Amino acid sequence: MYRLQAEHLYKVFGADPEDGVRRLEAGAGRDELRESGTTAAVIDASFDVREGEIFVVMGLSGSGKSTLLRTLNGLNPPTAGRVLFDGRDLTALSPRELRRVRSHGISMVFQHFALFPHRSVLQNAAYGLEVQGVGRREREERATRALELTGLSGWGDSWPDELSGGMQQRVGLARALATDADVLLMDESFSALDPLIRRDMQDQLLELQRSLKKTIVFITHDLNEAMRLGDRVAVMRDGRIVQIGTPEDILLRPADDYVSSFVHDVDRSRVLTAGTVMEPPRRPDAGDCRCETVAPRTPLADVLQVSARVPHPVAVRDQAGEVVGVIAKERLLAALGDHDGPVTPCTGDTAHAAPPAAAPGVPAQPRKEAASA
Amino acid sequence: MPRLPLGDWTDSAVTYLRDHFGPLFDVISAVVSGMYDGLDAVLQAPAPLLLAGILAVLALWLRGLTAGVLAFAGLAVVVSVQQWDEAMDTLSLVLVATVITIVLAVPLGIWSARNRTVSAALRPVLDFMQTMPAFVYLIPGIFFFGVGQVPGIIATIVFSLPPGVRMTELGIRQVDEELVEAAEAFGTAPRSTLLRVQLPLALPTIMAGVNQVIMLALSMVVISGMVGGGGLGASVFTAISQVDIGLGFEAGLSVVILAMYLDRVTGALGTRVSPLGRRAMAAAASPRGTRLWKYRPQTSVAVVGIVALALTAGGMGVLGGGDEKAAVPEADDVGKGRQVDIGYIPWDEGIASTYLWKELLERRGYEPKVTQYDVGALYTGMSAGRVDFETDSWLPVTHRSYWEKYKNELDDYGSWYGPTSLELTVPSYVKGIDSLADLKGKGKQFGGRIIGIEPGAGMMKMLNDTVLKKYGLEGEYQVTTGSTASMLAQLDRSMKAKEPVVVTLWSPHWAYSEHSLKKLKDPLGAWGKGDGIHTLARNGFAGDEPKVAKWLRDFRLSEKELTGLEGAVHKAGQGHEQDGVRDWLDAHPGLTDRLAPVG
Repeated sequence: MYRLQAEHLYKVFGADPEDGVRRLEAGAGRDELRESGTTAAVIDASFDVREGEIFVVMGLSGSGKSTLLRTLNGLNPPTAGRVLFDGRDLTALSPRELRRVRSHGISMVFQHFALFPHRSVLQNAAYGLEVQGVGRREREERATRALELTGLSGWGDSWPDELSGGMQQRVGLARALATDADVLLMDESFSALDPLIRRDMQDQLLELQRSLKKTIVFITHDLNEAMRLGDRVAVMRDGRIVQIGTPEDILLRPADDYVSSFVHDVDRSRVLTAGTVMEPPRRPDAGDCRCETVAPRTPLADVLQVSARVPHPVAVRDQAGEVVGVIAKERLLAALGDHDGPVTPCTGDTAHAAPPAAAPGVPAQPRKEAASA
Repeated sequence: MPRLPLGDWTDSAVTYLRDHFGPLFDVISAVVSGMYDGLDAVLQAPAPLLLAGILAVLALWLRGLTAGVLAFAGLAVVVSVQQWDEAMDTLSLVLVATVITIVLAVPLGIWSARNRTVSAALRPVLDFMQTMPAFVYLIPGIFFFGVGQVPGIIATIVFSLPPGVRMTELGIRQVDEELVEAAEAFGTAPRSTLLRVQLPLALPTIMAGVNQVIMLALSMVVISGMVGGGGLGASVFTAISQVDIGLGFEAGLSVVILAMYLDRVTGALGTRVSPLGRRAMAAAASPRGTRLWKYRPQTSVAVVGIVALALTAGGMGVLGGGDEKAAVPEADDVGKGRQVDIGYIPWDEGIASTYLWKELLERRGYEPKVTQYDVGALYTGMSAGRVDFETDSWLPVTHRSYWEKYKNELDDYGSWYGPTSLELTVPSYVKGIDSLADLKGKGKQFGGRIIGIEPGAGMMKMLNDTVLKKYGLEGEYQVTTGSTASMLAQLDRSMKAKEPVVVTLWSPHWAYSEHSLKKLKDPLGAWGKGDGIHTLARNGFAGDEPKVAKWLRDFRLSEKELTGLEGAVHKAGQGHEQDGVRDWLDAHPGLTDRLAPVG
């Protein structure tokens, strides 16, 4: 079931935005528009966000991702196209109805936290409830609970500027969670944090998500973050969405050179999982020994450690304990090195060439199978 | 380039507004003067030192012990130089102007922060208001609101509104856009965003604006003193008109003390009312910092202190209020407590005759109120019916231009002293120059300058238009414009250095007894015949108070009487003019009955 659907969204700034949309639809490029003083921030963006998933929109700065996010709660109404929230067209709502959707249905977490400096932590967390008109007692209870969820119990009476960046963003998260809105828009929410804290926050978000099952649209310019958090990832470039897919899809089958150059720096060992690279067991007794095994969702980084300790290909067991595949060391290396195909035999100095028998060629596995695994 | 009749348009616009919106201006005037009178009554009621104590406790509460002690010391100085009543008048004026300004400025600032068109349209208007010299709209202000505190307050509002609007706009625009967006993202309605987020965060800037408004209002008090605004402004104006350096300093210092007090207190109030400021203050009040001079009482303690002092003050005000005036004997009580407004310009014979009439009318059961004005303001105010009469019009020559303009609204009660004379005067050590004709060819000796007075004075017009022409002095001499005070100061300076100098002067004037001077003869009669000093009253005053009108029409003083009266007033000193009059009347028994016969 889809919570949020974007249909052919355009957001154009300038003197005559509608004309900009017409020209874009007729095939004009972003640069052509810019010459006439019109800026196309979002061009023909369509996607669906499923209930309970983290949908990441990834792109460099200026790619239009933040603008796109703000069309989803009407802060920035699209120039053309529709946004459906639970099937309702947000672009057709009156300002009052739209404010109701924002206060009850869709919450937002900001890049620079956007905490109100004149309110205590508790009052910040309770802000959304105050707007909803919830009574003081109830809203303080619910805000306190939200602060507990984000690990800030006991900080309610502090002031935002007394908190570290990470803690401030927890307040921002608590403020969004307190309203019980089940769609969360997160605008580069962890980008302003230093790397260690960022990782912490990512872990915490994933853990919260396991129990809360919110529907989250997460904006980031950090591909590693996108891969870590996203159930699905949309890659934006110059206002357009160039690819939507699972992190593995993006990594293994980039839609174009732009995406592939982008994924070049990704830590593949953390994105790829055992399930995506394993091969069917070649021997019926695979996994019969008492050696360590891995699960299909285990990241390759962890498979590497197991593989180092096990004398033969690592067996992959599903939840039922069935062996569903194996990963040989060569296969592991090929997957991490993004190499697809047989090992190239060396030429010339045969003294250093490994004998062919000692190098069991890694059979090229069709990518489709990997994806379906 | 054709002449753009901008001035004529303005003139007719002012007349049109006065004729068609009179009632509106009357309402505004009534509201503003009601606010002023109410506040002034409250501030004037308690004994000066008690009120100073209350204000000091306020400073103590807001800023700590040092501020409290300094505030009390400063205010005690004001009490001791006998400027307290004036200071409280000024404080009332400033506070009323400030409150009205803030009520107007904050909404305007909010509006222009939210609407760029409004902001763009408002900007030139604000520039205009801030830089247009106040006198330009002060005099028309008298047409609409009459003389007294109201035009002063209105002028102050016009002058101090711009920073209030600008700082409010700036404060709101400065609020982090992400915070405003966050508020919107949680579904806050625009008005609610303003109240919950923008205003609280803009408050420090807005309070800085309020502070500016108060400071600018204080800087306007002297100007409003010239149109009868009273208070310290009037003291300063009097002092500079009479070259009374001592009084000028005392009144000026009182303005400064008041300004510093208001500045510090409103500054501290700014941190008190803004949530962020309260936080910063709480953080600063660390446990180790409880030194004595940093001691600040709790709010409750401060309130108790202020209430206690106020109750004492109120009680004393009630007890002390009764015995102000000696009762008027039944037989002499013609006035039955009716009020008469007397205006005057601070010329010596004007002051002396005005206070003479104040005393006489009091002895006859009236409640006369005397107010000092700039000459233009006095005539405008009288023609608008806000001043009943004045006793110092030099006619037919010196004040002719005013008389010509307003003669339809004024009645001339005739001359009570005369003839006077206008002249050019040189120190007696300047040899060989005894008549105006002798000036020709001696321009170099005097640096080609004749030291003049206010450009608006009738005498200046005559000098430039007639006298210089008749004696062929045009081109050779420039008449400098300034004020009577600056002319007298220049005369004093030149005489100390024994330099030749030629000044515009008139008789009677105390300068002739102070310095050894030589009036230049006028063989061609260019100055015309001497003026008489006339009493002028508004139309209809004779109908309202026939008795007073008759007394004024019959009013005559001999030269001996006038110089004697001026001497007595001069001897009694600034602020005690009426005591001088009383002494003089006591020394001349029977004069009261001659000037204001009861029968």
